[in-house]
Amino acid sequence: MKTVIKTTDLSKTYTGTAVPVHALKNVNLEFRQGEFTAIVGPSGSGKTTFLNVIGGLDKPTGGQVVIDGVDIATMKESKLFDFRLRHIGFVFQAYNLIPVLTAVENVSFIMLLQNRPKAEMEERAREMLNQVGLGDKVDVRPGKLSGGQQQRVAVARALASRPDFVLADEPTANLDTESAFNLLDIMSRLNREEHITLIFSTHDQRVIERARRVITLVDGAVASDEQFERTEVNEKA
Amino acid sequence: MKTLIKISWRNIWRNRSRSIIIITALILGLMGGVFSAAMRLALEEQQFEDTIDNQISHIQLHHPDFIANPEARYSIAGGIEIASELSMRDDIAVASARTVVDGMIASANMSSGVRIKGVVPEVEAKTTGLDELLSDGSYFTGGGRLPSVIIGQALADNLNTGVGSRLVLTFQDVDGEIVSSSFRVEGIFKLTSKSFEERTVYLNAAEMSRIVGAEDVVTEIAVVVEEPGEYRNVAEIIGGLYPDVKVRHWADLQPALYYSLEFLGEALIWILIIIIMAVSFGLLNTILMSILERVRELGVLLAVGMKRRKVFSMIVAETTIIAIIGGIIGLLMSWGMIEILGNTGVPIPGGEGLEDFGYASVLYPRIESSFYFEIALVLVIFAIIASLYPAWKAIRLQPAEAVRQE
Repeated sequence: MKTVIKTTDLSKTYTGTAVPVHALKNVNLEFRQGEFTAIVGPSGSGKTTFLNVIGGLDKPTGGQVVIDGVDIATMKESKLFDFRLRHIGFVFQAYNLIPVLTAVENVSFIMLLQNRPKAEMEERAREMLNQVGLGDKVDVRPGKLSGGQQQRVAVARALASRPDFVLADEPTANLDTESAFNLLDIMSRLNREEHITLIFSTHDQRVIERARRVITLVDGAVASDEQFERTEVNEKA
Repeated sequence: MKTLIKISWRNIWRNRSRSIIIITALILGLMGGVFSAAMRLALEEQQFEDTIDNQISHIQLHHPDFIANPEARYSIAGGIEIASELSMRDDIAVASARTVVDGMIASANMSSGVRIKGVVPEVEAKTTGLDELLSDGSYFTGGGRLPSVIIGQALADNLNTGVGSRLVLTFQDVDGEIVSSSFRVEGIFKLTSKSFEERTVYLNAAEMSRIVGAEDVVTEIAVVVEEPGEYRNVAEIIGGLYPDVKVRHWADLQPALYYSLEFLGEALIWILIIIIMAVSFGLLNTILMSILERVRELGVLLAVGMKRRKVFSMIVAETTIIAIIGGIIGLLMSWGMIEILGNTGVPIPGGEGLEDFGYASVLYPRIESSFYFEIALVLVIFAIIASLYPAWKAIRLQPAEAVRQE
């Protein structure tokens, strides 16, 4: 499988505080296409910073983030916007859907920014909503959906444009157990079917148990990087 | 673009009551601005019509000494010829040669100081529209045993007289001798200005010549210009043509009126500026609040790759849409208001007393149709300016921080 993301000596230090905070320390990682990876670690271990940096939302203070052969650490902001739009999908902890748009409009939104043809957009958005089990909610706005349903729409939005990889920051943190399992089933299925690389930050054990790769960060450094064989059965267990 | 406007439109109605409040403020602001402008225009037109059109005209010519001593001996040399020459000019509508003197008027039991104007009836009708100002009687039809005079309503009231009554006028002739003559009241004119009604008497120029004892005595030439806005230029030209004559335009003759109109114009501009600024700050506040409530959402838009300029445009579009909605409704309501008030009139508090100073007690607001579009355009421009700060705040958000904001 081809490498989607490669970080080399990736560092991030916050200097705005009285004492500089080293959020990431020389992180060297590679993510291959189709991986289903959980980034775990205690609070303040650097999970979110890592996702922000590899997602181009934040600049590292040292090292490289090479995606599709391009080091985004040195990329200009204006180009980063376009890069994020074309290559990266995001799922946020608090769903963060656009409340004034319906489910199908939310799922189409990124494709719309990419100037995809309307018919293609519409078809793909409906397909994705069917995939996440919300085929009957296409015209419903987020305010009328449960938290679990909103997060499924967020997943559909992230995957609809077929990005190179999807970054999910604590996607199950606000969900009850049933909704969390439901979401994980959907994400692991889409990971297999769509061959989209999924990288999560989490300390939710339910997510960790389903990940095929678990990277543990402690104080901004990689403490462990483990691979697991998961069958579909134990993914659904 | 379509989706951007769709999002903007829906964002406006997320907080329905807040948007309705700011749109209402826009409507009221617009109505206030239009009303102020319409009242100002009505007052200006009423003042122009009453004071300039019906009384003093745009320009007056006198013998230089006549100003201090309004007597028949200070007449304009060649006055008839000058009036005739002026009437021929393209930039002048009419020039009325008059014999004007100060004197006394007396009825059987009252007397009063007045300014007596000997006029050519046909020319005066074109100059001041005196024939149309009559509230009673007729306009120099003659035929009576006594020569005719036309006096103001207020003077008739003071003298306790009316149409058909006999009056005696006393003044100095060209030699400075006191002369008197009897007249019959043929007509009574009515104007807004009571003071003009009280002190002005019109009689036929031919009759005036007989009494002052000389033909073609012209002490005043009143000029109406073709383009009212050009009165200064025309006065300057006339001054150059007749250097021995004192030429004054209406702003020289009625400086209080001139400055009050200027002040009204200035005040209107400031009123409009204050209204538009107040509405703009209201808009700015509304949009800013809406931005601060949507930090996380805007962070998501920036995170997923929506370019900052698109986010900026979205915020500006929201403000512009609000301004357009408020602008259209406000203009329609303003138009309706002016249509109604233009017919019914707006009574001015204490209006009866104001008539002594030449102000109407009821004004009929009206507005140039172009003003509606001008003020709407200014409103939209200010709305866009008001949206720039909130839009700038929105695009300064750091997506990584904004998406995590509670």
